[in-house]
Amino acid sequence: MEIKILGGGCAKCHRLEAITREVVDELGIEANFTEVTTMPEIMAYDVMTTPALVVDEKVLSSGRLPDREEIRKWLEKIG
Amino acid sequence: MDFIGGLMELLQSGFGGLAAYLAAHVLLCLLPAFFIAGALAALLPKEAITRYLGRDAPKWISYPASALGGFFLAVCSCTIMPLFASIYKKGAGLGPAITFLFVGPAVNILAISFTGVQIGMDIALARIILSLVFGILIGLLMAWFFRKDDAAHAVEAAKSQLFSEKKKIPTRIVLFFVILMGILLVGTLQVGLLRNSIYEFTIRGSWAVSMQEWLNSIIPPNPALGIEGVSVHGLILIGLLFIIALSAIKGLGKVFEGFNAWSYVALGIITFTLLFSSLSVATAAEGLQIGINSRFLGEMLLLGSLWWMGIKVMNADELKEWLWETWRFVKQIIPLLLVGVFLASIARALIPAVWIETIAGRNTFWANLAVVLFGVFMYFPTLVEVPVAQTFLSLGMHRGPLLAYLLADPELSLQSILITNSVIGKKKTAVYVVLVTIFSTLSGLIFGWFIK
Repeated sequence: MEIKILGGGCAKCHRLEAITREVVDELGIEANFTEVTTMPEIMAYDVMTTPALVVDEKVLSSGRLPDREEIRKWLEKIG
Repeated sequence: MDFIGGLMELLQSGFGGLAAYLAAHVLLCLLPAFFIAGALAALLPKEAITRYLGRDAPKWISYPASALGGFFLAVCSCTIMPLFASIYKKGAGLGPAITFLFVGPAVNILAISFTGVQIGMDIALARIILSLVFGILIGLLMAWFFRKDDAAHAVEAAKSQLFSEKKKIPTRIVLFFVILMGILLVGTLQVGLLRNSIYEFTIRGSWAVSMQEWLNSIIPPNPALGIEGVSVHGLILIGLLFIIALSAIKGLGKVFEGFNAWSYVALGIITFTLLFSSLSVATAAEGLQIGINSRFLGEMLLLGSLWWMGIKVMNADELKEWLWETWRFVKQIIPLLLVGVFLASIARALIPAVWIETIAGRNTFWANLAVVLFGVFMYFPTLVEVPVAQTFLSLGMHRGPLLAYLLADPELSLQSILITNSVIGKKKTAVYVVLVTIFSTLSGLIFGWFIK
């Protein structure tokens, strides 16, 4: 699974990554994390607010911090 | 003046300024303002405003909406840049994007309330009105200069569904904001109605006078240097601030994992501190005179309603988000602000007033341009422009150039110019910087004429 965190390195982005990593560990999924920080790359995903969570090139959330349960449901569905 | 003596005097000036800040100003205006900023970041659905920023939106809607967006959404730099880039490439285009970029840093809840309390309501209002007007003008000009480039984005924008999502702000959230704004306004407005005591009583004892004398001896009030000194009331407030800081680190720093006992302690003390600071307290020979005024009663009512809403109406996730965002702003801004206040107070003792008076003592074109350029090349962290401006004011700067500086400093810094450059390119950035310089200079000049 390819997981990307879009955002310019603000506090929220770091928390999004931390939570997602925890969920990934809990579920025992093989996942690759990438931080996308430059504006043109972020814009390519059609989001206008960061942080955004992208899994396998699909935008799951943007502009807010989804809670742990939400992320778990998404990852279970995809993985 | 020998070296050690001089150094001591500088340090005293720095700490004096810092103490006066903590005792008087920071509390009643910044504490509620931070909570409002946190609420804007956490509770306001962005789509409520971005729905008006799509490619199809007519100009008379998209420009004012961008300006409002700058006010409501641009509390944090991590929302400014992505939104700016989106509006530019996939939304209403270059003009509204520029308006958004211009209004955001100059007119946000923290900057405005801080400016109002510290420098004066006239400057705060001018900062709002001129930023909105000139933000829209600069946006229109940029859109006109680069109308060909902008048209090229139309295809890309038409494909995008980004701005089609529509949301409304729930009524309870609106009510929550109204109460928070009320706490800010009732706490800071300097009108007799709020200040005059309704009922007075005295805590007897000679300790109050001796304590005030002791305070005056360690932080002597020095109007020449703009040092206000610290009152007994102020000293207690500084103490309360320290307790808030300690309990907030434990209580709000990890609030996203759930409320703990420290969260309630921190919120309780913050409520108490806001109430205590709105009392009027004076030191007299027979003791400490305490007056209950309508400000106190108003704050009691509003804070009560806020607690009621928090417990009965808002859900736990919203509250956690809100408090976490608030704490994040505090952590990001307050330490730098305190250092800034300290250094600005030292600078006040170091810089001869003659310099400032010569450069910007009168409201001329060159005076305004000089301070604008100073603002562009100096980079101060968020809000630090306010104590710097206050130092300038006490050294004799005219209020016209002062406003020009307050507009230009947060607007343009080398850092923000570089980021803007990466989104819209060199040519547009250069034109933007020139326009902002011209308009900030003019703002100061015009404002300076009006207050004469």
